[in-house]
Amino acid sequence: MIRVEHLTKVYGKKIILDDVGFTIDRGTVLAIIGPSGAGKSTLLRCINGLEKFNSGRIFINGEELTKNNVVEIRKKIGFVFQQFNLFPHMSVLENIVLPQVVVKKIKREKAEDIAYNILSRIGLIDKVDSYPSELSGGEQQRVAIARALALDPEIMLFDEPTSSLDPEMTREVLDLIRKLTTRKITMIIVSHEMGFIYEISNYVMFMDEGRVVEFAPTKTFFLSPKEERTKRFLGKVINISTR
Amino acid sequence: MLEFIWQEALKFYSIIKFLLPAVPTTLKITVVSFLLAILLGTFICILRLSVINFISKIALWYANVIRGIPLLVLIFFIYFGLGKFLHLAQYPAAILAIGICYSAYLGEIFRAGIQAIPKEQFDAGRALGMKNFHIMYYIIIPQAIRIILPPLINEFIACLKDSSLVSVIGLRDLTRAGREYYSREFVVFETWAMVALIYLVLTYLFSKLGLWLEKKYKKEKRER
Repeated sequence: MIRVEHLTKVYGKKIILDDVGFTIDRGTVLAIIGPSGAGKSTLLRCINGLEKFNSGRIFINGEELTKNNVVEIRKKIGFVFQQFNLFPHMSVLENIVLPQVVVKKIKREKAEDIAYNILSRIGLIDKVDSYPSELSGGEQQRVAIARALALDPEIMLFDEPTSSLDPEMTREVLDLIRKLTTRKITMIIVSHEMGFIYEISNYVMFMDEGRVVEFAPTKTFFLSPKEERTKRFLGKVINISTR
Repeated sequence: MLEFIWQEALKFYSIIKFLLPAVPTTLKITVVSFLLAILLGTFICILRLSVINFISKIALWYANVIRGIPLLVLIFFIYFGLGKFLHLAQYPAAILAIGICYSAYLGEIFRAGIQAIPKEQFDAGRALGMKNFHIMYYIIIPQAIRIILPPLINEFIACLKDSSLVSVIGLRDLTRAGREYYSREFVVFETWAMVALIYLVLTYLFSKLGLWLEKKYKKEKRER
């Protein structure tokens, strides 16, 4: 479960997040959409404590996120970045094994088993000894997802996971995320892939200028949006569907 | 003619024979004071990277002050100046002076190397639930070393050459041995040529070693 209450973040004079609030239950897939600069990424980074905020509260599975428990809470949350952020000096295997050994104190052999297992499931077993620079963008992102999954998170946050990929690679990454939705992991996905969001999410939240404009179940959101601002945005990003 | 060449060769041989025993002293002073500089430099670097502005400022001031003092003056200051209260022997005084001097440079090199690593690497480590110490140890420092290594080798070579300054407080290093020899035998040109040659050979060997280290490090990591 994730609950966000009155979250506000100010940077200088600019308001990045303006009284943002929502609640989602365990196993829910929430998609966040909106124009760039709407505060979507910042909101996501606040939820796992990568970004400080000025006021408001965040609850993860009923526990309030504070300075003292942020490292503990992060262990339950997997985070996938737009730019993958793999560790370039480590092989694929090492990228997945190290966090398990360091964070969860899992024995090396067991961590390697888990890594091999995940890599074979996502079809990257032949890349186990490769270095990130030797992989395509799509492969790097899948390894980044594998790295997060190896820690067995209850929550996964995706920050525009396909925005820096070309269409072909986008598909392989989206296919992988789609598979995860069957595993009852709570997910928040910031994305511009409307078709994908329509297909896999339970709720959609539309943000603009740091505010939540509309929050609704996915079908309702796309088929009968309430707010004018939402309609205008959807009109721009979706050219054929819903007519 | 042949006799002349033979005479000259003998002269050079006796110079080198006289100088070589002083080489270990030069190497010892260089290596020990450089290790001290690495230690102090790491400490300075940690202070410099502190989020507390005041602490970072102190480290910056330290670097600025030390970098603004000639090493020779620093050696005099620590051996004679502080010697008034501390009575440091020649070795510790020399090592302390060079170590402090180079720590200011190394601190800045380390800081630049660490700050060259993208912020996103920290984010990735934090997002995985790693503690700051682990992020530094496993993620940032291994990547920063690649950047730090070449200037570090440069500094080491400069340090080797600067170690010749310790001869002024009576340490019998290579330079000091050269001075002793020419004042005894009055062969100025040959003596200093040989001293220069030995320094040259030493620095050449260390720069080769440095290149080998750099290559090895890159190859092992198979990075591009």
